[in-house]
Amino acid sequence: MVTDILGSADLASARAFIAKQGLQFDAHYDDLVGVFERGALVAVGAREGEVLKMLAIAPAERGGGLLGAVVTELARRVFAAGHDALFVFTKPEHVPSFEAMNFSLLASGGRAALLEHGRGLERYLEANRGAVREGANGAVVMNCNPFTLGHRHLVEEAARGVDTLYVFVVREDRSAFPFDVRLRLVREGTRDLPNVRVLDTSRYAVSAVTFPAYFLKRAGDAASIRLDLDLLLFAQRIAPFFHVRRRFFGTEPDCATTRAYGDGMHRILPAFGIEPVEIARKEAQGVPISASRVRAALRDGHVDGLEDLVPEATAAFLRSDEARGVRERLRAGGGRHA
Amino acid sequence: MNIARKAQAGTIQSSDLMVFVEPAAELVIEIESTVRRQFEHLIRAKIEEVLRSHGVTAGRIRVSDRGALDYAIQARVETALLRSAEE
Repeated sequence: MVTDILGSADLASARAFIAKQGLQFDAHYDDLVGVFERGALVAVGAREGEVLKMLAIAPAERGGGLLGAVVTELARRVFAAGHDALFVFTKPEHVPSFEAMNFSLLASGGRAALLEHGRGLERYLEANRGAVREGANGAVVMNCNPFTLGHRHLVEEAARGVDTLYVFVVREDRSAFPFDVRLRLVREGTRDLPNVRVLDTSRYAVSAVTFPAYFLKRAGDAASIRLDLDLLLFAQRIAPFFHVRRRFFGTEPDCATTRAYGDGMHRILPAFGIEPVEIARKEAQGVPISASRVRAALRDGHVDGLEDLVPEATAAFLRSDEARGVRERLRAGGGRHA
Repeated sequence: MNIARKAQAGTIQSSDLMVFVEPAAELVIEIESTVRRQFEHLIRAKIEEVLRSHGVTAGRIRVSDRGALDYAIQARVETALLRSAEE
Protein backbone atom coordinates (compact mmCIF):
# COMPACT_ATOMS: atom_id res chain seq x y z
CA MET A 1 0.00 0.00 0.00
CA VAL A 2 1.25 3.47 -0.87
CA THR A 3 1.39 5.70 2.20
CA ASP A 4 2.52 9.21 3.07
CA ILE A 5 6.01 9.59 4.45
CA LEU A 6 5.60 12.10 7.26
CA GLY A 7 7.46 11.25 10.48
CA SER A 8 11.09 12.24 10.87
CA ALA A 9 12.30 8.62 11.16
CA ASP A 10 10.48 7.62 7.95
CA LEU A 11 11.69 10.76 6.25
CA ALA A 12 15.28 9.91 7.17
CA SER A 13 14.93 6.42 5.72
CA ALA A 14 13.32 7.85 2.56
CA ARG A 15 16.27 10.21 2.13
CA ALA A 16 18.72 7.34 2.55
CA PHE A 17 16.70 5.15 0.18
CA ILE A 18 16.58 7.83 -2.52
CA ALA A 19 20.33 8.44 -2.25
CA LYS A 20 21.01 4.69 -2.43
CA GLN A 21 19.14 4.50 -5.75
CA GLY A 22 21.46 7.17 -7.13
CA LEU A 23 18.96 10.04 -6.97
CA GLN A 24 19.25 13.36 -5.22
CA PHE A 25 16.87 14.17 -2.42
CA ASP A 26 15.09 17.44 -3.14
CA ALA A 27 13.21 19.11 -0.30
CA HIS A 28 10.80 20.90 -2.66
CA TYR A 29 7.72 18.67 -2.80
CA ASP A 30 4.01 18.69 -1.94
CA ASP A 31 3.71 14.96 -1.30
CA LEU A 32 6.24 12.29 -0.50
CA VAL A 33 4.90 8.73 -0.54
CA GLY A 34 6.31 5.25 -0.24
CA VAL A 35 5.64 1.55 0.11
CA PHE A 36 6.85 -0.35 3.17
CA GLU A 37 7.34 -4.08 3.30
CA ARG A 38 8.09 -5.70 6.66
CA GLY A 39 9.04 -2.32 8.00
CA ALA A 40 11.46 -1.46 5.19
CA LEU A 41 10.96 0.98 2.34
CA VAL A 42 10.81 -0.66 -1.08
CA ALA A 43 9.49 2.24 -3.16
CA VAL A 44 9.43 6.05 -2.88
CA GLY A 45 8.07 8.87 -5.01
CA ALA A 46 7.25 12.56 -4.67
CA ARG A 47 5.26 15.22 -6.45
CA GLU A 48 5.70 18.97 -6.68
CA GLY A 49 2.69 20.53 -8.36
CA GLU A 50 2.15 18.51 -11.51
CA VAL A 51 5.68 17.06 -11.56
CA LEU A 52 6.57 13.63 -10.19
CA LYS A 53 10.14 13.13 -9.05
CA MET A 54 12.41 11.11 -6.77
CA LEU A 55 10.76 7.92 -7.98
CA ALA A 56 12.85 5.04 -6.70
CA ILE A 57 12.19 1.31 -6.45
CA ALA A 58 14.38 -1.18 -4.58
CA PRO A 59 16.33 -3.22 -7.18
CA ALA A 60 14.89 -6.54 -5.97
CA GLU A 61 11.34 -5.24 -6.42
CA ARG A 62 11.61 -3.84 -9.94
CA GLY A 63 9.51 -5.13 -12.79
CA GLY A 64 6.44 -5.69 -10.61
CA GLY A 65 3.63 -3.26 -9.98
CA LEU A 66 5.35 -1.04 -7.42
CA LEU A 67 6.27 1.79 -9.78
CA GLY A 68 2.75 1.75 -11.20
CA ALA A 69 1.26 1.84 -7.71
CA VAL A 70 3.37 4.85 -6.67
CA VAL A 71 2.72 6.70 -9.94
CA THR A 72 -1.02 5.98 -9.70
CA GLU A 73 -1.21 7.40 -6.18
CA LEU A 74 0.84 10.50 -7.06
CA ALA A 75 -1.17 11.03 -10.27
CA ARG A 76 -4.38 10.88 -8.24
CA ARG A 77 -3.03 13.63 -5.98
CA VAL A 78 -1.87 15.76 -8.93
CA PHE A 79 -5.39 15.78 -10.37
CA ALA A 80 -7.02 16.20 -6.96
CA ALA A 81 -4.86 19.33 -6.55
CA GLY A 82 -6.48 20.73 -9.69
CA HIS A 83 -3.74 20.21 -12.28
CA ASP A 84 -4.72 18.83 -15.67
CA ALA A 85 -1.33 17.57 -16.78
CA LEU A 86 1.25 15.23 -15.33
CA PHE A 87 5.03 15.21 -15.78
CA VAL A 88 7.88 13.01 -14.60
CA PHE A 89 11.41 14.06 -13.90
CA THR A 90 13.67 11.00 -13.91
CA LYS A 91 16.94 9.50 -15.11
CA PRO A 92 17.42 8.76 -18.82
CA GLU A 93 17.74 5.01 -18.18
CA HIS A 94 14.20 4.91 -16.72
CA VAL A 95 12.53 6.53 -19.73
CA PRO A 96 11.28 3.20 -21.20
CA SER A 97 9.49 2.27 -17.93
CA PHE A 98 7.51 5.50 -18.14
CA GLU A 99 6.87 5.22 -21.86
CA ALA A 100 5.22 1.87 -21.11
CA MET A 101 2.82 3.86 -18.87
CA ASN A 102 1.84 6.23 -21.71
CA PHE A 103 4.30 8.94 -20.77
CA SER A 104 6.08 10.55 -23.72
CA LEU A 105 9.59 11.96 -23.69
CA LEU A 106 9.95 15.75 -23.76
CA ALA A 107 13.70 16.11 -23.33
CA SER A 108 16.64 14.07 -22.24
CA GLY A 109 20.11 15.22 -21.27
CA GLY A 110 23.09 13.49 -19.75
CA ARG A 111 21.75 13.12 -16.24
CA ALA A 112 18.03 13.67 -16.44
CA ALA A 113 14.92 13.28 -18.55
CA LEU A 114 11.52 14.95 -18.53
CA LEU A 115 8.37 13.18 -19.70
CA GLU A 116 4.71 14.09 -19.80
CA HIS A 117 1.68 11.87 -19.46
CA GLY A 118 -0.12 11.87 -22.79
CA ARG A 119 0.77 13.90 -25.85
CA GLY A 120 0.41 17.51 -24.78
CA LEU A 121 3.51 18.76 -26.60
CA GLU A 122 2.39 17.20 -29.88
CA ARG A 123 -1.02 18.83 -29.46
CA TYR A 124 0.57 22.19 -28.64
CA LEU A 125 2.79 22.10 -31.73
CA GLU A 126 -0.09 20.93 -33.92
CA ALA A 127 -2.25 23.81 -32.66
CA ASN A 128 0.50 26.25 -33.71
CA ARG A 129 1.20 24.72 -37.11
CA GLY A 130 -0.54 27.65 -38.81
CA ALA A 131 2.11 30.03 -37.43
CA VAL A 132 5.05 28.08 -38.88
CA ARG A 133 6.97 29.92 -41.62
CA GLU A 134 9.82 28.57 -43.71
CA GLY A 135 13.16 30.33 -43.52
CA ALA A 136 15.94 31.03 -41.03
CA ASN A 137 13.82 32.01 -38.05
CA GLY A 138 14.54 33.28 -34.58
CA ALA A 139 12.92 32.95 -31.17
CA VAL A 140 12.81 34.80 -27.91
CA VAL A 141 11.13 33.54 -24.74
CA MET A 142 9.96 36.26 -22.40
CA ASN A 143 7.72 36.71 -19.38
CA CYS A 144 7.03 40.41 -20.21
CA ASN A 145 5.75 41.34 -16.78
CA PRO A 146 4.83 43.83 -18.26
CA PHE A 147 6.01 44.53 -21.85
CA THR A 148 8.55 47.40 -21.77
CA LEU A 149 10.55 49.44 -24.27
CA GLY A 150 13.43 47.13 -23.31
CA HIS A 151 11.48 44.13 -24.63
CA ARG A 152 10.46 46.14 -27.64
CA HIS A 153 14.12 46.99 -28.38
CA LEU A 154 15.10 43.31 -28.07
CA VAL A 155 12.28 42.24 -30.41
CA GLU A 156 13.14 44.91 -32.98
CA GLU A 157 16.84 44.02 -32.99
CA ALA A 158 16.11 40.29 -33.19
CA ALA A 159 13.47 40.63 -35.92
CA ARG A 160 15.97 42.49 -38.11
CA GLY A 161 18.25 39.47 -38.33
CA VAL A 162 15.76 36.67 -39.11
CA ASP A 163 12.98 35.80 -41.54
CA THR A 164 10.36 35.29 -38.85
CA LEU A 165 10.78 36.04 -35.15
CA TYR A 166 8.67 34.01 -32.73
CA VAL A 167 8.06 35.72 -29.42
CA PHE A 168 7.04 33.07 -26.90
CA VAL A 169 5.30 34.61 -23.91
CA VAL A 170 5.60 32.58 -20.71
CA ARG A 171 2.18 31.19 -19.84
CA GLU A 172 2.90 30.34 -16.21
CA ASP A 173 0.60 32.55 -14.17
CA ARG A 174 2.80 33.43 -11.22
CA SER A 175 3.42 37.07 -12.07
CA ALA A 176 1.80 40.37 -11.07
CA PHE A 177 0.46 40.78 -14.61
CA PRO A 178 -1.79 37.86 -15.59
CA PHE A 179 -0.87 35.84 -18.66
CA ASP A 180 -3.69 37.14 -20.88
CA VAL A 181 -2.69 40.76 -20.14
CA ARG A 182 1.02 40.08 -20.73
CA LEU A 183 0.23 38.34 -24.03
CA ARG A 184 -2.10 41.12 -25.15
CA LEU A 185 0.41 43.87 -24.40
CA VAL A 186 3.13 42.05 -26.35
CA ARG A 187 0.75 41.58 -29.30
CA GLU A 188 -0.27 45.25 -29.26
CA GLY A 189 3.29 46.45 -28.70
CA THR A 190 4.69 44.50 -31.69
CA ARG A 191 1.76 44.73 -34.10
CA ASP A 192 3.67 47.06 -36.49
CA LEU A 193 6.51 44.53 -36.93
CA PRO A 194 5.45 42.40 -39.91
CA ASN A 195 7.75 39.40 -39.32
CA VAL A 196 6.96 38.95 -35.62
CA ARG A 197 4.60 36.24 -34.39
CA VAL A 198 3.56 36.18 -30.75
CA LEU A 199 2.80 32.73 -29.28
CA ASP A 200 2.26 31.27 -25.85
CA THR A 201 4.79 28.82 -24.36
CA SER A 202 2.15 26.59 -22.80
CA ARG A 203 4.10 24.54 -20.23
CA TYR A 204 7.03 23.89 -22.50
CA ALA A 205 9.41 26.77 -21.80
CA VAL A 206 10.25 28.62 -18.58
CA SER A 207 7.35 27.05 -16.71
CA ALA A 208 6.99 25.67 -13.19
CA VAL A 209 7.63 22.30 -14.85
CA THR A 210 10.70 23.10 -16.93
CA PHE A 211 12.34 25.89 -14.97
CA PRO A 212 10.90 26.23 -11.43
CA ALA A 213 13.90 28.26 -10.24
CA TYR A 214 12.65 31.19 -12.30
CA PHE A 215 9.58 31.45 -10.09
CA LEU A 216 10.76 30.05 -6.77
CA LYS A 217 14.09 30.90 -5.25
CA ARG A 218 16.21 27.85 -5.53
CA ALA A 219 19.77 26.94 -6.30
CA GLY A 220 21.99 23.93 -6.61
CA ASP A 221 22.32 20.92 -8.80
CA ALA A 222 18.61 20.05 -9.15
CA ALA A 223 17.85 23.59 -10.37
CA SER A 224 20.62 23.54 -12.97
CA ILE A 225 19.54 20.12 -14.28
CA ARG A 226 16.00 21.41 -14.81
CA LEU A 227 17.37 24.51 -16.56
CA ASP A 228 19.27 22.22 -18.96
CA LEU A 229 16.08 20.25 -19.66
CA ASP A 230 14.17 23.46 -20.44
CA LEU A 231 16.78 24.35 -23.06
CA LEU A 232 17.03 20.79 -24.40
CA LEU A 233 13.26 20.69 -24.85
CA PHE A 234 13.48 23.95 -26.77
CA ALA A 235 16.42 22.74 -28.89
CA GLN A 236 15.14 19.21 -29.56
CA ARG A 237 11.43 19.79 -30.05
CA ILE A 238 10.31 23.41 -30.34
CA ALA A 239 13.09 25.01 -32.42
CA PRO A 240 13.03 22.37 -35.22
CA PHE A 241 9.24 22.70 -35.54
CA PHE A 242 9.41 26.49 -36.04
CA HIS A 243 12.67 26.42 -38.08
CA VAL A 244 14.40 28.43 -35.38
CA ARG A 245 18.16 28.92 -35.87
CA ARG A 246 18.82 31.76 -33.44
CA ARG A 247 17.61 32.37 -29.93
CA PHE A 248 17.79 35.90 -28.64
CA PHE A 249 17.96 37.13 -25.06
CA GLY A 250 18.75 40.35 -23.25
CA THR A 251 21.88 40.97 -21.18
CA GLU A 252 21.05 40.31 -17.53
CA PRO A 253 22.80 42.62 -15.09
CA ASP A 254 21.02 41.69 -11.85
CA CYS A 255 19.31 38.34 -11.56
CA ALA A 256 21.70 35.37 -11.13
CA THR A 257 19.06 32.83 -12.15
CA THR A 258 18.33 34.59 -15.43
CA ARG A 259 22.06 34.92 -16.02
CA ALA A 260 22.54 31.18 -15.44
CA TYR A 261 19.84 30.62 -18.07
CA GLY A 262 21.80 32.76 -20.52
CA ASP A 263 24.97 30.77 -19.77
CA GLY A 264 22.96 27.59 -20.34
CA MET A 265 21.98 28.81 -23.81
CA HIS A 266 25.65 29.24 -24.77
CA ARG A 267 26.46 25.80 -23.36
CA ILE A 268 23.57 23.81 -24.86
CA LEU A 269 22.07 25.41 -27.97
CA PRO A 270 25.03 25.48 -30.42
CA ALA A 271 25.22 21.65 -30.52
CA PHE A 272 21.72 21.73 -32.03
CA GLY A 273 22.59 24.28 -34.68
CA ILE A 274 20.99 27.15 -32.76
CA GLU A 275 23.00 30.31 -32.25
CA PRO A 276 22.42 32.11 -28.93
CA VAL A 277 22.43 35.87 -29.49
CA GLU A 278 22.72 38.24 -26.54
CA ILE A 279 21.43 41.76 -27.06
CA ALA A 280 22.48 44.64 -24.84
CA ARG A 281 19.68 46.24 -22.84
CA LYS A 282 18.18 49.52 -23.86
CA GLU A 283 18.68 52.21 -21.25
CA ALA A 284 16.66 55.14 -20.01
CA GLN A 285 18.38 57.89 -17.98
CA GLY A 286 21.53 55.74 -18.01
CA VAL A 287 19.86 52.76 -16.33
CA PRO A 288 18.78 49.57 -18.17
CA ILE A 289 15.04 49.34 -18.75
CA SER A 290 13.57 46.27 -17.11
CA ALA A 291 10.13 45.07 -16.15
CA SER A 292 11.22 45.00 -12.52
CA ARG A 293 12.03 48.73 -12.77
CA VAL A 294 8.51 49.34 -14.09
CA ARG A 295 7.00 47.27 -11.30
CA ALA A 296 9.06 49.13 -8.69
CA ALA A 297 7.83 52.46 -10.05
CA LEU A 298 4.22 51.23 -9.92
CA ARG A 299 4.68 49.91 -6.41
CA ASP A 300 5.98 53.28 -5.27
CA GLY A 301 3.27 55.14 -7.14
CA HIS A 302 5.72 56.87 -9.54
CA VAL A 303 3.60 56.64 -12.66
CA ASP A 304 4.81 59.87 -14.25
CA GLY A 305 8.08 58.69 -15.78
CA LEU A 306 6.60 55.45 -17.09
CA GLU A 307 6.29 56.74 -20.67
CA ASP A 308 10.09 56.51 -20.90
CA LEU A 309 9.99 52.85 -19.93
CA VAL A 310 6.98 51.27 -21.66
CA PRO A 311 5.29 51.46 -25.08
CA GLU A 312 1.98 53.25 -25.48
CA ALA A 313 -0.16 50.10 -25.22
CA THR A 314 1.42 49.15 -21.90
CA ALA A 315 1.17 52.73 -20.61
CA ALA A 316 -2.52 52.85 -21.54
CA PHE A 317 -3.12 49.60 -19.67
CA LEU A 318 -1.27 50.84 -16.59
CA ARG A 319 -3.48 53.95 -16.48
CA SER A 320 -6.68 51.91 -16.90
CA ASP A 321 -9.05 50.62 -14.24
CA GLU A 322 -8.22 47.13 -15.38
CA ALA A 323 -4.73 47.55 -13.88
CA ARG A 324 -6.06 48.20 -10.40
CA GLY A 325 -5.69 44.53 -9.39
CA VAL A 326 -2.11 44.48 -10.64
CA ARG A 327 -1.21 47.64 -8.71
CA GLU A 328 -2.70 46.19 -5.54
CA ARG A 329 -0.80 42.92 -6.03
CA LEU A 330 2.43 44.86 -6.44
CA ARG A 331 1.87 46.90 -3.31
CA ALA A 332 1.12 43.76 -1.34
CA GLY A 333 4.52 42.46 -2.49
CA GLY A 334 5.13 39.36 -4.54
CA GLY A 335 7.74 36.72 -5.10
CA ARG A 336 10.46 36.42 -7.69
CA HIS A 337 9.78 37.89 -11.09
CA ALA A 338 6.37 38.62 -9.62
CA MET B 1 -26.52 12.05 -16.48
CA ASN B 2 -24.22 15.07 -16.73
CA ILE B 3 -20.53 15.38 -16.05
CA ALA B 4 -20.68 18.06 -13.37
CA ARG B 5 -17.03 18.17 -12.30
CA LYS B 6 -13.61 16.68 -12.86
CA ALA B 7 -13.19 13.08 -11.81
CA GLN B 8 -10.72 10.27 -12.24
CA ALA B 9 -10.72 6.49 -11.92
CA GLY B 10 -8.42 3.56 -12.54
CA THR B 11 -4.70 3.01 -12.28
CA ILE B 12 -1.61 3.30 -14.40
CA GLN B 13 -0.83 -0.43 -14.00
CA SER B 14 -0.46 -2.92 -16.81
CA SER B 15 -3.79 -4.38 -18.06
CA ASP B 16 -5.64 -1.43 -16.55
CA LEU B 17 -6.46 2.10 -17.60
CA MET B 18 -6.81 5.54 -16.05
CA VAL B 19 -9.85 7.61 -16.96
CA PHE B 20 -10.19 11.38 -16.56
CA VAL B 21 -13.48 13.13 -17.16
CA GLU B 22 -14.35 16.80 -17.00
CA PRO B 23 -17.21 19.07 -18.09
CA ALA B 24 -17.08 20.34 -21.69
CA ALA B 25 -19.49 21.88 -24.18
CA GLU B 26 -19.37 18.87 -26.47
CA LEU B 27 -18.28 15.29 -26.31
CA VAL B 28 -14.53 14.76 -26.78
CA ILE B 29 -12.86 11.39 -26.34
CA GLU B 30 -9.05 11.24 -26.25
CA ILE B 31 -7.35 7.87 -26.14
CA GLU B 32 -3.73 7.12 -25.29
CA SER B 33 -2.91 3.46 -25.37
CA THR B 34 0.10 1.22 -25.60
CA VAL B 35 -2.03 -0.84 -28.03
CA ARG B 36 -3.63 2.14 -29.76
CA ARG B 37 -2.65 1.11 -33.25
CA GLN B 38 -4.44 -2.24 -33.07
CA PHE B 39 -7.29 -1.51 -30.66
CA GLU B 40 -8.14 2.19 -30.57
CA HIS B 41 -11.42 1.64 -32.46
CA LEU B 42 -12.51 -1.07 -30.00
CA ILE B 43 -11.58 1.01 -26.96
CA ARG B 44 -13.47 3.96 -28.42
CA ALA B 45 -16.53 1.81 -29.21
CA LYS B 46 -16.56 0.52 -25.63
CA ILE B 47 -16.29 4.02 -24.14
CA GLU B 48 -19.06 5.31 -26.42
CA GLU B 49 -21.27 2.41 -25.38
CA VAL B 50 -20.79 3.20 -21.68
CA LEU B 51 -21.43 6.92 -22.28
CA ARG B 52 -24.60 6.11 -24.21
CA SER B 53 -25.93 3.80 -21.53
CA HIS B 54 -25.51 6.64 -18.99
CA GLY B 55 -26.98 9.23 -21.33
CA VAL B 56 -23.78 11.32 -21.39
CA THR B 57 -23.71 13.62 -24.40
CA ALA B 58 -21.07 16.20 -23.39
CA GLY B 59 -17.73 16.18 -21.61
CA ARG B 60 -14.07 15.57 -22.14
CA ILE B 61 -13.10 11.94 -21.59
CA ARG B 62 -9.40 11.12 -21.53
CA VAL B 63 -8.23 7.56 -21.30
CA SER B 64 -4.71 6.29 -20.72
CA ASP B 65 -4.82 2.57 -21.41
CA ARG B 66 -2.28 -0.20 -20.94
CA GLY B 67 -4.05 -3.03 -22.66
CA ALA B 68 -7.14 -3.28 -20.42
CA LEU B 69 -9.91 -5.74 -21.28
CA ASP B 70 -13.45 -4.61 -22.04
CA TYR B 71 -14.70 -5.27 -18.50
CA ALA B 72 -11.99 -3.07 -17.05
CA ILE B 73 -12.73 -0.28 -19.53
CA GLN B 74 -16.43 -0.42 -18.69
CA ALA B 75 -15.82 -0.44 -14.93
CA ARG B 76 -13.29 2.40 -14.97
CA VAL B 77 -15.33 4.67 -17.25
CA GLU B 78 -18.49 4.06 -15.20
CA THR B 79 -16.66 4.82 -11.96
CA ALA B 80 -15.27 8.07 -13.35
CA LEU B 81 -18.71 9.09 -14.60
CA LEU B 82 -20.39 8.36 -11.26
CA ARG B 83 -17.71 10.30 -9.40
CA SER B 84 -18.13 13.24 -11.78
CA ALA B 85 -21.85 13.41 -10.97
CA GLU B 86 -21.69 12.90 -7.20
CA GLU B 87 -22.72 15.71 -4.93
